[in-house]
Amino acid sequence: MGSREVSWELLQFGVAGLKNGAIYALVALGFTIVYASTNVINFAQGEFYMLGGMFATFVFAHLGLPLGLAAVAAVVATAATAVVFELLAVRPRVGGDPMTIIIVTVGGSVLLRSLARHAFGSDELALPAFSQGGSIMVGGAAIDRQTLWVWGIAALAVAALWVLYTRTRLGRAMRATAVDGEAARLVGIDTRLLVTVSFGLAAVLGAVAGLVVTPLTQTAYDVGAAIGLKGFAAAILGGLGNPVAAVVGGIVLGLLESLSVAFISSTYKDAIALAVLLLVLFLRPSGLLGRTRREKV
Amino acid sequence: MFRKGKSGMTRLTRRATVLAAVLALAMLPAGCGSGGGSLPASGSGSQTKAPYKIGAVLSLTGPYAGLGNPEKETLDLEVAAINAAGGVNGHPIELVVEDDGTDTGKATAAAAKLIDQENVIAIVGATGTGQTMAIQGEVDRAGTPVLSIAGGNAITAKIDPNIFQMPWPNRLVAPFVMKYMQSRGVKKVALLTDASGYGKDGLAVIQPELAQLGMTSVANETFNPGDTDMTAQLTKIKSAKPDAILLWAAGSEAATILKNRAQLGITIPVYGGSGQARMEFVQGAGAAADGFTFGTGKVLLPESFGDAPNRKTAEDFAARYQQKYGKVPNIFTAHAYDAIHITAEALKRVPGDATPKALRDEIEKTSGFVGLDGTFTFSSADHNGLTENDLVMYRVQDGKWVLAK
Repeated sequence: MGSREVSWELLQFGVAGLKNGAIYALVALGFTIVYASTNVINFAQGEFYMLGGMFATFVFAHLGLPLGLAAVAAVVATAATAVVFELLAVRPRVGGDPMTIIIVTVGGSVLLRSLARHAFGSDELALPAFSQGGSIMVGGAAIDRQTLWVWGIAALAVAALWVLYTRTRLGRAMRATAVDGEAARLVGIDTRLLVTVSFGLAAVLGAVAGLVVTPLTQTAYDVGAAIGLKGFAAAILGGLGNPVAAVVGGIVLGLLESLSVAFISSTYKDAIALAVLLLVLFLRPSGLLGRTRREKV
Repeated sequence: MFRKGKSGMTRLTRRATVLAAVLALAMLPAGCGSGGGSLPASGSGSQTKAPYKIGAVLSLTGPYAGLGNPEKETLDLEVAAINAAGGVNGHPIELVVEDDGTDTGKATAAAAKLIDQENVIAIVGATGTGQTMAIQGEVDRAGTPVLSIAGGNAITAKIDPNIFQMPWPNRLVAPFVMKYMQSRGVKKVALLTDASGYGKDGLAVIQPELAQLGMTSVANETFNPGDTDMTAQLTKIKSAKPDAILLWAAGSEAATILKNRAQLGITIPVYGGSGQARMEFVQGAGAAADGFTFGTGKVLLPESFGDAPNRKTAEDFAARYQQKYGKVPNIFTAHAYDAIHITAEALKRVPGDATPKALRDEIEKTSGFVGLDGTFTFSSADHNGLTENDLVMYRVQDGKWVLAK
């Protein structure tokens, strides 16, 4: 095989890795945002991804709304679900033992999955592509239009998050809480409200990822667990609590998987990605971009 | 990470109580439908004899819920029909359904309960191959016949005297599809299989068969359930320049693969098996499924039975199922239909009051049973009872399946 062939293949593997990476990044951001405000891992994060796709297919197929409106409705509905869950199940436990909140989110994940199965059934549901037309060829590699939507929406979400964090009072309060919750509370920041906001934001990011991917993969009530694991791995790989790290972790994980298929074996791609994750944690326990802050005694 | 962890004993217990309540609530919907969904004998006056209890171990929740629920609907419908027609030799059938939650441990417990507490004389199920294998120990202990509605090779590759299998196993379907590919001039094959049970099971059949048919594999790629993108695997396959792709998978990822194939502009034909005999696959893949060719039983298009009596059986069942549930039956309903009717027919032949042992012997004598999956003839050496004559090739065209010429 000639060198030109090899280069289009590499490009194609890169496209696949960046597409999955963008999705992992969005889910990882959800983990990181909740972690920043609560110091816990929200194990229901994958279910927000599932709900985004399920609400969108439901609204589109049964209420007959146009695709764009269905997408917005799905994001709003998922965020509302997350906020209600936070108010009822998490808020009464904020400030207590983080382990309790973690277990509440595990329970919440089972609950949301079961409710989705009863509400939407157990079959896969489909959603049409956001825009019609064939793939776009770049240097011999094909990039399909939905992949462009994945990248565009992921970039938009990251940009919006950046503006929120750096340009608004709410964002500054969230960052302050992430650095030190007790101190933030002492200077008058309503840290309880921030926890609610962080669950809502995490749900928005999860739902966006879930609904933009549904035209490619279909969705079902049980898709949350697998993607939750990938997003969690990406968040850890980058470094928990840091939004930039979550994005980097997601993209690195996506590329790792696709290059494993290219150069080693598709059978072991998940194992290879996890092995690299373990290696990184061994060498840099706080992740690729994590803060290595010493606990003061 | 847990630097805020400080808790007094009383707060801890109160939190634990609330937590337990939340978890209990979380488990509640998942548990619905489990437990005895027992159907009382619907009376048509003439039935005076004690009912025959038939158990069913189905995946009504968990990953196989999409299979288990139509199976339960079918069993409910057919048991009611059998009872309305006078039952079996005057005995009504009482169906006792247990949900295994797509879990092997729960399947074992469900089988034990059906055998020891409900005293069933036969078990229909389980929905999944793993769950069927998990109940083997229980049914062998009690000598209860099992009519499995799962497709795994392992179920009847090595004969267990008590276990029969309704669907076409991979060792029947995969060579059938591969011979069709050979007849189309395919020599170099790219294999694309899922790394879960169904794909692995198929791969074990496909690899030795390739050499038999004078074909070679130029790529052997896998993917995991839940993967959202298969373009990396397809890129490798494209470079290997095969004559055709053989896709062996059970889940929704098959639709993603065909879409990815279209996105990459790959025109290499794709073949598959029973895993794609679901309308959700055709709808999910949309236009990308056009031209996809797969082999499975004839029940998808009853006219493919030709003049065989199975055609009328299939059309009659489809009409009744559609009337009751307002949707088209699928291949899983066909497996459940065959399981309950083979049991009922064998029961009729048992002289006097049936025992599990006598029923097992009669099921094994089933010969020429006209079902939906095909025409079954069991023997002590064959507990599946189907042949390649019960299979046919389909092609997807404009969102529907048509017979492949």
